Amino acid sequence: MTGEIFASNVESAAGDKQMSLMVNAHSYLLTVGNRPGEVDPAHTLAFTLRETLGLTGTKVSCDKGACGGCTVLMDGKAVLSCMLLTIECGGKEITTIEGLMEPKTGALDPLQQSFIDHSAFQCGFCTPGMIMSAKALLAENPSPSEEEIKEALSGNFCRCISQYQVVEAVKAVSGKKR
Amino acid sequence: MKTFDHYDARSIDEALGLLGKHRGKARLNAGGTDLLGLLKDRVLPQYPELIVNIKTIPGLDYIEEDGERLRIGALARLCDLAGSRLLQERYGVICEAALAVAGPQIRNVATIGGNLCQDVRCWYYRYPAHLGGGMLCARKGRGPCFAVKGDNRYHAVIGAGKCFAVCPSDLAVALAALDGHMTLVSHRGERRVGVGDFFSPLRNVLEADEFVKEIDVPKASVPRLQRFLKFTLRKPIDFAVVSVAAVTEVKDGIYSDARIVIGGVAPGPFRAGKAEEELIGCEPGDAVAAQAAEAALEGARPLSKNAWKIEVARALIKRTVYR
Repeated sequence: MTGEIFASNVESAAGDKQMSLMVNAHSYLLTVGNRPGEVDPAHTLAFTLRETLGLTGTKVSCDKGACGGCTVLMDGKAVLSCMLLTIECGGKEITTIEGLMEPKTGALDPLQQSFIDHSAFQCGFCTPGMIMSAKALLAENPSPSEEEIKEALSGNFCRCISQYQVVEAVKAVSGKKR
Repeated sequence: MKTFDHYDARSIDEALGLLGKHRGKARLNAGGTDLLGLLKDRVLPQYPELIVNIKTIPGLDYIEEDGERLRIGALARLCDLAGSRLLQERYGVICEAALAVAGPQIRNVATIGGNLCQDVRCWYYRYPAHLGGGMLCARKGRGPCFAVKGDNRYHAVIGAGKCFAVCPSDLAVALAALDGHMTLVSHRGERRVGVGDFFSPLRNVLEADEFVKEIDVPKASVPRLQRFLKFTLRKPIDFAVVSVAAVTEVKDGIYSDARIVIGGVAPGPFRAGKAEEELIGCEPGDAVAAQAAEAALEGARPLSKNAWKIEVARALIKRTVYR
């Protein structure tokens, strides 16, 4: 709720409306419109991430805000990218699952590694959303209790019953710094 | 989603100007968690031509007390409500209700104004247009209420007519128990409406050119004992089948004040005056809680498949009143 968003939605010299979208510390300048590669006002953030920017790590499952599969971080908080309009995300910092990797070495985030070590997935479709929700929790509360972990992940659904291993995976990295 | 024009409003005046200019074809967007669902499924009888982003209006997300009232800006998010020290200390029922809404990701963007203004969850009303065409019903201005003859297991048991959808808002229940009011502004001026009176069977009372600016609760005589409980089928994130807010005060061993509000049973939060009468002047206890629960929904007229909700409401009232 700041004024930053105005500065990020600007008109270019040609009269096209443009917006800048900050994803994983990378700034994208996007044109607002309905031609290919542009951001239509009706595009959701999930759509833009996947179809316009090619960041397909974020998954769209229900597309109704009920499953948590499309969870990303916006200014550090877990949000549902399928229920946000891209055009309203200018000036916000978005982090997707791709942004957790150490950019220089390509090393996985300890949380990602912990999911692998604990086999905290089966089909894996819900996993990026689970990891982003857990990431937001650990940033706010580095040593959560089991109850707090379950509450933070309550908006993420898994139909293959990986939840028990997910809680273990998050517990294993709690209390440790990245 | 079908496309629309989009505008970032910078002030309430600007948003009101756009609502007036587009005459019912513009919609305000705050958190968007309800509106985007309506747009994706093309539920609204008239698809908006303009979406006005009101998150860009500064200074509307306050939670503060002045001399007489608790005042909450319409853009305060549910996570702000749940985490507010002020609310936790004196208005716990608001925190409990905010925390009961959806999952963390939705609470991080959804606002109190949006929670009160969200559309109903009736499965006939919400039937997606892309699956063989939407369903025109009384709520959309043409047709019957399909719940009357259809599957009405989650519909209203009291106070409904023409449309049997129930109010989906958890915060409405908590706020009604605290005698909360909403300030609605338009170019015609400002008006204050009680949260309980905001809802009616076919629609809420918000006009197409009005804007919810603030929610307030009178500070005088806020009872100390506050509790909100919600029964859902999917425990962590779901809309209430039935919810209850009980706000009571016990002085010298007897109830001196009691407000019982039931959600999920009527088009709005239902103030159970008869349950309150049972409590006031009595000693808190198991028996009086059971009497209050029994009396709460007297006069209810359930449809063919939803009488069970009355039992759920009774159980919740017993639990909220007597702990």
